[in-house]
Amino acid sequence: MITFKEGNLRIPKWNRRVFVVAGGTTAYRKYFPEYKLEELVMIAFKNMLEDNDLKMDPLEVKGLINYAAYGEFADHFQDQLLCQAKVHDYLGLDPLYNMGIKTGGATGGSTILQAAMAVASGYANVALAAGWERMDEVDTRTGNFYISTAACKDFETRLGRVYSSYYAPMANRFAWAFKVSETTRAKIAVKNHLYACSSPYAQQPGKYTVEDVLNSPISAYPLRFLECCAMSVGAAAALVCDEETAYKLTDHPCELFICGGTHTLRVADRRPMEIPLLPHETPEMYKDLSEKQSRYPGFESFLACRFAAWLAYRMAGIQNPLEDLDLVELHDAFTISDLQTYGDIGLRPYGQEQDYIESGDAYYGGKCPSNLSGGLIGTMHAVGATGVFQAVECLWQLQQKYDKFHGDPKIWKKWGKKKPKDWQSLQIPETGKQALWVSHAGVGSHVTVGILRKSS
Amino acid sequence: MVQTKFIGQVTKVRQSEPATVIEWPRSITHIHTYGMLSPFFQGLKEGKLRATFCPNKNCPENGLWIPPRAHCPDCHTEMKWKTLRNPVIGTIHTFTQVVYAGIGIELSTPYWQIDVEIPGLATIPKSYLLYGDPHIGMKVKAEFRTKNPTNTVLDYYWVPYEK
Repeated sequence: MITFKEGNLRIPKWNRRVFVVAGGTTAYRKYFPEYKLEELVMIAFKNMLEDNDLKMDPLEVKGLINYAAYGEFADHFQDQLLCQAKVHDYLGLDPLYNMGIKTGGATGGSTILQAAMAVASGYANVALAAGWERMDEVDTRTGNFYISTAACKDFETRLGRVYSSYYAPMANRFAWAFKVSETTRAKIAVKNHLYACSSPYAQQPGKYTVEDVLNSPISAYPLRFLECCAMSVGAAAALVCDEETAYKLTDHPCELFICGGTHTLRVADRRPMEIPLLPHETPEMYKDLSEKQSRYPGFESFLACRFAAWLAYRMAGIQNPLEDLDLVELHDAFTISDLQTYGDIGLRPYGQEQDYIESGDAYYGGKCPSNLSGGLIGTMHAVGATGVFQAVECLWQLQQKYDKFHGDPKIWKKWGKKKPKDWQSLQIPETGKQALWVSHAGVGSHVTVGILRKSS
Repeated sequence: MVQTKFIGQVTKVRQSEPATVIEWPRSITHIHTYGMLSPFFQGLKEGKLRATFCPNKNCPENGLWIPPRAHCPDCHTEMKWKTLRNPVIGTIHTFTQVVYAGIGIELSTPYWQIDVEIPGLATIPKSYLLYGDPHIGMKVKAEFRTKNPTNTVLDYYWVPYEK
């Protein structure tokens, strides 16, 4: 049983306000031989400096940076230790200090958190947060094995050697406990593949039906291939700064709040505990959860995500996520992880997660749309870049720049694609003020919940 | 004068356009210790399922641990070992059929990976079902690969249990 003492539950507080002003990205592909890794990061870095309508010359903006946080999931994939030193030098940022961040699938979120802590503490006025992954140096099955070493090597890796096999048992238990149809999971895959069709950066766009998803090959039952993200190559970058610099650079900065939580690497070791309640929740909401034979957090939910949201909502003053948030970008590495997260961040109470999809709230035009970027299933999961990319998508949405960065035919052409004739804008309304993204590792070993708030 | 020679293997070029891509094969052996958990893996070879427990009577956690831990995460006391009495009967908490597996998989696919509730345990360890079709709530019995052990966690598995 996990119990807390007072200090454990202190709500993080920046020493000064932190903002994100600009973002950049590459396209994402399963195989990307055209560019070396540091070249991809340079492309994302230049995209961030040059294309975000900043009020200073790009090299002058670069001249404000005095710290960099770099996210990379696995040295296995890059086959290069200290990759951040190569990248940092390639970006022309020596001898400024940089730190490499590694928290599995949450690496991107942790990288933004690290940059924010540098700014909030006063170490930096302007910090670069960049992330990358190159997963095409090995074949897919070797890549699957590499990723499965992010399960416990003594007690889990040999039992699967593919990460879907660690999520699939959660999917079966979740469906059994909360009576969820496979169709709900399939709808998530349909939605995110479809939204990826509007993104020039997307790796797996597609107009699929629920039947297409359910008829696609099984990876680990019940998860089908169309419900899973893919090996991915690419890079993303975000510029994090203090308030004074933020307004020097743009009239449209977004204030940043971000917190993290962790939980055991092995699902086996999740001992029961009381549910940490979000601001809009009451104990009565969960009195019948044990009747459904669900032991919290069990195999049905992610304590690390709930704890990160528990902190971040209090840090940012979020009272009710469904009412207060205008967009979420969630970590849909698998459809089931997306579904589970709806409860963790309080879009629905635990046990009623499926209603977020079935009600239409999760769709473009819905109450709080989810993964308009195409998410991990549709667009990318170049792991170290993912949490940074999600933040950048949230930033561009709040700055009303979705069309600028997704609808320009030149961007499609730059990445060897042609803008579809039926391209659809997924820009959220100008009234949208707050967006949230979840960066998630392992089977919930590390999770960050970040919130961007449009400046008033 | 001694001249340095190239003694490696000539690198194969996989493709030349749009960029030069080479292959770099290698074979690696890791030397891995089971440390203080060695009795667990030794026990499997002897047909015994061993768990650890915290001997501190003031510790809030009095359940058994599989996977075992050498130290209690709650009070940091060094754990003690307990051998579960055979037959060890468990209940399937959840399961999956692994159809597509990563490189090096040591079990023939497809196979059933199961998570098993064992009486007295604080944890729900992952393992595999040797045969049969699992469902949540199904009773299963632990068996051991005492002949030709793999010296890994694969040395115990479960079979359907019917009284």
